[in-house]
Amino acid sequence: MPPRPRLRLSGVISGKFDFEARAAALFLLPVTVVLVAVAVFPIGYSFYISLFQLKLTRPHRVPFVWLDNYAKILTDELFWSSAWRTFSFTVMSVTAISILAVLIALLLNETFRGRRFLAIILVAPWAIPTVANGLMWKWIYDSSFGALNGALLQLGMIDKYVVWLGDPEKTLPLIANAFVWKEVPLASILILVTMKSIPADLYRAAKVDGANVLQRFIHITLPSLRPGFMLVFIYETMMAIRHFDLFFILTEGGPAQASHVASWHIYVETFRNLSFGTGNALAYVMAIVTFALAYFIIRTLGRRL
Amino acid sequence: MLAKGGSKHARWKLRLSGWTRLAVIFLFSVVLAGYVLGPFVWLASSSIQNEREIISVPPHWVPEDPTLLNFKAIFLAQRKGVTYETRTQADPVSGGYIPSTAKNLLPSLWNSLIVAVSVVVLNLVVGIPAAYAMAKIRFRGRSTSIYFMLSTRVIPDIVLVVPFFLFISRLGLLDNVLSLIITYLAITVPFTVFILMSYFESLPDELDKAARVDGCSRFQTLTLVFLPLALPSVAAIVLFSFLTSWNEFLLALMFTQTIASQTMPIVIASFTSDFTISFSFINAAGVVAVVPPVLLAVVFERYIVSGMTAGAVKG
Repeated sequence: MPPRPRLRLSGVISGKFDFEARAAALFLLPVTVVLVAVAVFPIGYSFYISLFQLKLTRPHRVPFVWLDNYAKILTDELFWSSAWRTFSFTVMSVTAISILAVLIALLLNETFRGRRFLAIILVAPWAIPTVANGLMWKWIYDSSFGALNGALLQLGMIDKYVVWLGDPEKTLPLIANAFVWKEVPLASILILVTMKSIPADLYRAAKVDGANVLQRFIHITLPSLRPGFMLVFIYETMMAIRHFDLFFILTEGGPAQASHVASWHIYVETFRNLSFGTGNALAYVMAIVTFALAYFIIRTLGRRL
Repeated sequence: MLAKGGSKHARWKLRLSGWTRLAVIFLFSVVLAGYVLGPFVWLASSSIQNEREIISVPPHWVPEDPTLLNFKAIFLAQRKGVTYETRTQADPVSGGYIPSTAKNLLPSLWNSLIVAVSVVVLNLVVGIPAAYAMAKIRFRGRSTSIYFMLSTRVIPDIVLVVPFFLFISRLGLLDNVLSLIITYLAITVPFTVFILMSYFESLPDELDKAARVDGCSRFQTLTLVFLPLALPSVAAIVLFSFLTSWNEFLLALMFTQTIASQTMPIVIASFTSDFTISFSFINAAGVVAVVPPVLLAVVFERYIVSGMTAGAVKG
């Protein structure tokens, strides 16, 4: 945000700084109380728990184990393989979302009949519950009666029905597809809004200088999209890394461990193995990684892109 | 908000000859509409087929013998206690049955509504004054508090699950909608404050000054001057926090156990993990889950866009 020059006349003239500060404090009190209670405190408490060997199967023996939980989870092979799956899921999804969002924004940036209709239906996937999204795609991917098999068979692209989610090779891309379908609308809206804010003069100047459509797109549109694009990139990366719902509904981490991603790993460790200490340590590692990643993206890409 | 970019803001136009441009746009629009609507159409079509038709290969895209039995089952489940027997009587060929948990769907919608409305109200109460203070009052630590607010949202919600779980069980609030209302504040309030703050910032400071000179207190300045002007943005945050709470799954999965507190996503998820359930029934449940949020979003579409525009794109 560029700093805007401001004159705090009311403050300067009557020397009401104290009063202002008090008013601000009063207005911020409720939100501070709420956020400390539901965000700050739990995050701290979470780290505290991660230092204990807390298993609900043995609730009365809770020894303090320093960083043993972290050592334990980091030496677990499943941790690294699940981290790798989360990484590939994130790369797949975010790449697809970015490309599709720019294409859709380019389309909606044109003026034509039906544009408004497209803009309105576009918010529908964004609005539905992820659980309903999962249910819908589970039924589309169904290996015996699903729409995907039906459509591909009728189009002659397959000879017989194919197993989709049950095939370890296909599971992650298919879940990513369901994720992308739901996330693309918001991303396109954000990019479209940025696109509309590009000043017309830039294009006029470029045209005078003899730039063609493609050159104008590469040298004006893409660089000007940076703020919106950055936002989409960071937001969708965060969402993809932590995503849980679709894995729960569509595959429960299976088949075998083909969709055993990091968030599913945390869930299993915590609520199926009932090991709160290690589960929390896992969650904490994920928090630190996402935080570091957001910081890294803003610092490097944010400057260069 | 969107389409009316006048002379100041130009668009990147396809500089192609008339017909090619039209053809490209038409083709792309059809593909996009199909991509977005396809899954919905298939869901809706499956929800009005009977169990015999739904397992045809290849699938019937348009039902030959449409039926509302599945919806009837959902809405009458509580009264009639639809079970394996009553269901197979109604549709003898199928063998697919309607689970006893079907009767939970309507109460769970009610729970979802209570949770979502409470979260919206609390968001407004807590968020509006905070956003105003951050946008219009200069105080020390202002930018720190903004960064603090945003950083709480970067934390994945799965980190909050265990501490919340331990607290809530200690407070005796497990399986109580209150636990959901409280925890959902963590995932909605930062966003609410951010959107509203950006909107308040875009309103001129002179407004603030004028109101104060005329003798308004800070509180009056907010409620009488700024709030009426910020209504589009308020609509956006009402919509966002409502949908977030209505759709939330992970926390609800952890903190609810019975229909005393289970929200709609939990009941729907319990259907999907049951392999013996009638396919058409699950799809009807899916339609029931999808219709309210989609209606809301479509009706308030312009506020979604303006709400996003307010903060997001300024960077």
